[in-house]
Amino acid sequence: MSIDLLVQALLNGFGLAMVYVLVALGLTLIFSILEIINFAHGEFYMLGGYVTYYVFAVFGVNYFATLGFAILAVGLAGVVAERLIFRYLRGKTLNAFIVSLGLLWVMQASAQLSFGVLDKPVPSAFSGIVRAFGLVISVERLVVSLSAIVLIAALYLFLRWSRPGRAMRAVAQDADAAALQGVDIELVSALGFGIGCALAGGAGGLLAPVFAVSPAMGALPVVKAFIIIIIGGMGSLPGAVVGGLLLGSVEGLGSLFMGSAAVNVLGFLVVILVLLVRPRGLFGGA
Amino acid sequence: MRIRASIAAVVIAPLAAVVGTVVMGGAQDKTLSIGVLGPLSGGAASYGVELVRGAEMKADEINKAGGLKVGADTYRIKLVSYDHKALAADAATAANKLVFQDKVKYIIGNAVGATCNAVQTVTEPEKVLFSFVCWGTNNLGPDKPHSFRVMLSQWEVAEPFYRWVKEKHPQIKRVAAISPNDTSGKDTNTAVVKALKALGFEVAADEYYERGTKDFYPILTKILAAKPDMLDVAAAPAGEGGLILKQARELGFKGAKGWTAGTNPFTIIGVAGKDAAEGVWSPANINVRSDFVSATVRRFGAEYEKRYNEVPGVIAVANYAAFDVITKAMQEARSLDTDKVLAALTQKPFETVWGRLVIGGKETYGIDRQFLYPVVISEVRDGKVVDIAQVLPTALKK
Repeated sequence: MSIDLLVQALLNGFGLAMVYVLVALGLTLIFSILEIINFAHGEFYMLGGYVTYYVFAVFGVNYFATLGFAILAVGLAGVVAERLIFRYLRGKTLNAFIVSLGLLWVMQASAQLSFGVLDKPVPSAFSGIVRAFGLVISVERLVVSLSAIVLIAALYLFLRWSRPGRAMRAVAQDADAAALQGVDIELVSALGFGIGCALAGGAGGLLAPVFAVSPAMGALPVVKAFIIIIIGGMGSLPGAVVGGLLLGSVEGLGSLFMGSAAVNVLGFLVVILVLLVRPRGLFGGA
Repeated sequence: MRIRASIAAVVIAPLAAVVGTVVMGGAQDKTLSIGVLGPLSGGAASYGVELVRGAEMKADEINKAGGLKVGADTYRIKLVSYDHKALAADAATAANKLVFQDKVKYIIGNAVGATCNAVQTVTEPEKVLFSFVCWGTNNLGPDKPHSFRVMLSQWEVAEPFYRWVKEKHPQIKRVAAISPNDTSGKDTNTAVVKALKALGFEVAADEYYERGTKDFYPILTKILAAKPDMLDVAAAPAGEGGLILKQARELGFKGAKGWTAGTNPFTIIGVAGKDAAEGVWSPANINVRSDFVSATVRRFGAEYEKRYNEVPGVIAVANYAAFDVITKAMQEARSLDTDKVLAALTQKPFETVWGRLVIGGKETYGIDRQFLYPVVISEVRDGKVVDIAQVLPTALKK
């Protein structure tokens, strides 16, 4: 087996890993602030895909403008979901688990009724391939990966330096202490849920032209997102990035040596190994 | 979770029919419930949607003509359909529901091999007549006398298709086949590989992927490293086959492309895009706009397009024909008893949208339960589907 092939396999694995990291970051952000695991997170990813389909493919709006719109629209949908449903479940992990499962089915069934059950192809926003050192990557995937990295960097800067970002981190560390310092927990909760969903929507918008959109499209990325955040550690941004890259490289290399069913199991094997060695994930706090 | 599909005028009435035949008063008021199964959501949804629509068009035709006259009685047809998402467990549950709750004695339509096996565990013991388009090898056999395949399968298609490839494109020497990792996929790749070897091709790759896969870069990297002259997305449904072709092109593949189970090239063009789908050969397809097909099929295609705003693929036509043949057999038998209908069905040929329909397959399956008709090979040219050849399955030649 040639080195070129191994490097190409790694490149394949890394290619979309950053998009799945975006989905994972949304999940972990919501968990940090509201202490709930949103199983309907993949459906917000799906919403981002459909927004992209209609705005970009049907109405012909510029791709990046569409992406921005998808992020805003899905973020707003997230805020609505938080205000109507999840605000009452803050800290009630088990209740939120059941409710989010219900929301998952409602959103998926609604999408089937509204958009139809068949895959809707979204034309590629960027054509062509880049060849270098015997490696190949499509321009589309390159743009998608870079866009995801930009969004991850923007999230990092927002959380690190902005006032609402700092408030979110404060709530994630200790909600009661943050409230005593004057942080508006309700506002932070809605904003956190909205941003988490917006990240999923952005990921859906990024991958819509790569894969086409369908009502069930959210299932796979959300599974990968769970794997990523368990490997990286709940609530850790660097952990999610490292988890994504680790998963991507394991799956990419694994596909050269084994069948697709076995490759799908690899991610879970990594999770088991990480949990045995570091139960809180690679970057998880104590 | 089972999702009841409510597609167009398909009637889903879980509490309505107490028995398949419900006598409610006058002669025109009898109802015959007929089941339709299929994946109506997920990656293989295009199969289920076409099955339901094909059945729906024939059922509506019959109902508009005053109902189905069987002996002294006239029946209105009611379709009861369930989505099994291409999952065998869901298919078994749906079949149980159709047979024991909805009390149907006929299930006309199902797709995806493993789900057919699951359904047959319910239909055969209950003598429910079951017709399908599944491609599993063991879906037909002497131990399954109530089961029919109404569309050509890989065993009828692969050999004549690759015989044609060898004759017309002798530069193609190495072929890679990729299919879903389930019964349909394994059987299809097996048939393709068998045909390839028999005809002297080299098998560059014989690969499988999990249904629902979206990113084919990893598996394609391995396949393309074997340098195939031709890539056959054998049993992949349109959504996944289209993505494979798109991503193969992104990875630099420029060879020939085939789709042995290509039931509707129009759909794969939509997913793959015009450029990536260019040149795809589909031997299992029917092009309802082509000169190769009968006027009846063209008329069916026009009506289907008008009604659903989509071009029908071979599955819609096959299920329409199956519905036609089985209801005609009921009339021949003058009974709804499935054994009597089965006898009528296998006694003589029927005139259908395919033309004169032959039910054969004993050489392959040990029993004549396979609908046989000519294979038409089509090619995608500049975003359009063009029929380029017609070849005969070996069994039909005989």
